Amino acid sequence: MRRMLRLFVPLTIVGATLVTAMIAAPTESAKSFDIKSMTLQQAASMLQQSAVTVSLVAVWILAAVALTLMSGREVRASSTEVRASALHCFTLGLVAVTSFVLTAIVFSYLIPYFIGVPLLFALAVFAVITKIYGMVAVFHAVGTLVAGARSRQQLGSRKWLRGDLVMALIGALLLGAIRLIPVVGPIVWGLASVFAIGSALATKFGRREPWFLAWRPAEA
Amino acid sequence: MKTDSCLRYLEDPEANAGHLADCAECRALFGENEVPTKPLSLDALPLAAWEGASHRAWPLVIGGTVVALIAAAILCFIAGMTPLQVIESSFKSVQAMRVFVLTSAGALREASRGAQLAFGAAFFAVNGVLVLLLRRSPRGIDA
Repeated sequence: MRRMLRLFVPLTIVGATLVTAMIAAPTESAKSFDIKSMTLQQAASMLQQSAVTVSLVAVWILAAVALTLMSGREVRASSTEVRASALHCFTLGLVAVTSFVLTAIVFSYLIPYFIGVPLLFALAVFAVITKIYGMVAVFHAVGTLVAGARSRQQLGSRKWLRGDLVMALIGALLLGAIRLIPVVGPIVWGLASVFAIGSALATKFGRREPWFLAWRPAEA
Repeated sequence: MKTDSCLRYLEDPEANAGHLADCAECRALFGENEVPTKPLSLDALPLAAWEGASHRAWPLVIGGTVVALIAAAILCFIAGMTPLQVIESSFKSVQAMRVFVLTSAGALREASRGAQLAFGAAFFAVNGVLVLLLRRSPRGIDA
C-alpha cells in the first residue's frame, strides 16, 4: 500500500504538471513571435497587448498595496513559506490548479442539475481570492529576495527600501516588467501564479492553521 | 524535598535563603548553576522576517504606483484603447478558461461510461493528493 502511494503521488504530480502546462502554455501568437517579419497590424496588436499588460500590472500594484496594508502579517507569513519551502509550494500549486480545473469540469457537468451553478460560482470566487492573495505573497517574496535587507545594520541604514509595502511593490514591478517580455513573460507569470496558489493554500492564507482537524477519540 | 526545612524554603525562598547552604538536594535544584553564559550579540543573530516590516515608505509606494498608472495611461492612449476595451481584453483569458471548462464538460457528457469513470478516478486522485499535501504543516519561520 505504501509503495503504491509512493508511486501514486509523483504520478499525480506529473499529471498535474502536464495539465497546468497545457493550460498555461503560450498562445499561438506568442509562439510565432518574430520581430523581423512583423506587419504594422501585428505591431499595433502587440502595443495593445502591452497596454493591457501594463494596466493589469498597475491594478496588481494597487491590489498588493491594499492587501499588504490590510493583512501584512499574513502576506509576510505566506511570503516566508514561498522562500522556505518553494518546492512544496510549487507542487501544491500544480496539484491545486489541476484540482480547480477538474472540479470546475465536474461542476459544469452538474449545471443541468441546478446545483452546478452555485458550486461553480463558489469555486470561481475561491480560485480568484487564492490567486490574488497568493500573487501578493509572491510579489512580497520576490521583492524581499531582490531588495530585502541582509543584515540588521543594512536594515537600520535604509530609509525607504524596507517594510512589507515596499517589498510587495518592488516584486510587483519586477514581475510586471518580466511579464512584458514576449514568450518568456507569460511563462514566468504562469509559474508565479502556480507558486502563488501553492503558498496561499500551504499557509491557509497566511494564518498558518491546519486545514483539517485531527480526529482523536475522547478519553474517559 | 525531605524535611520541613525544605518545605519552608519552597514556601518562602528569600526568607529561608540559608537553607541552600545546608541542603545539597535543594542546592542542586535551586542553587546557582555553574553553566557558563555568553553575552548575547543581537547583530550576530539572523534578521527576522518581521523586523522593519511595519515600516511604510509612502513616498516610494505612492511614486511607484503613480509611475505604473501613468505608464498604463500613456500606453493605452498611444494604442488608442479605452478603459472599457482594456477591461474586455484582460478578461480574454478568463473567457478562454470558461470555454475550455464548458467544452470539456460537454465532451464528458458525450463520452463513454469508461471515459467518465476514468475522469472520475482522476478527479478523486488529484483531490486526494491535494488533501495529502494540505495536511503538511507550513515550515515558514521554523525552516
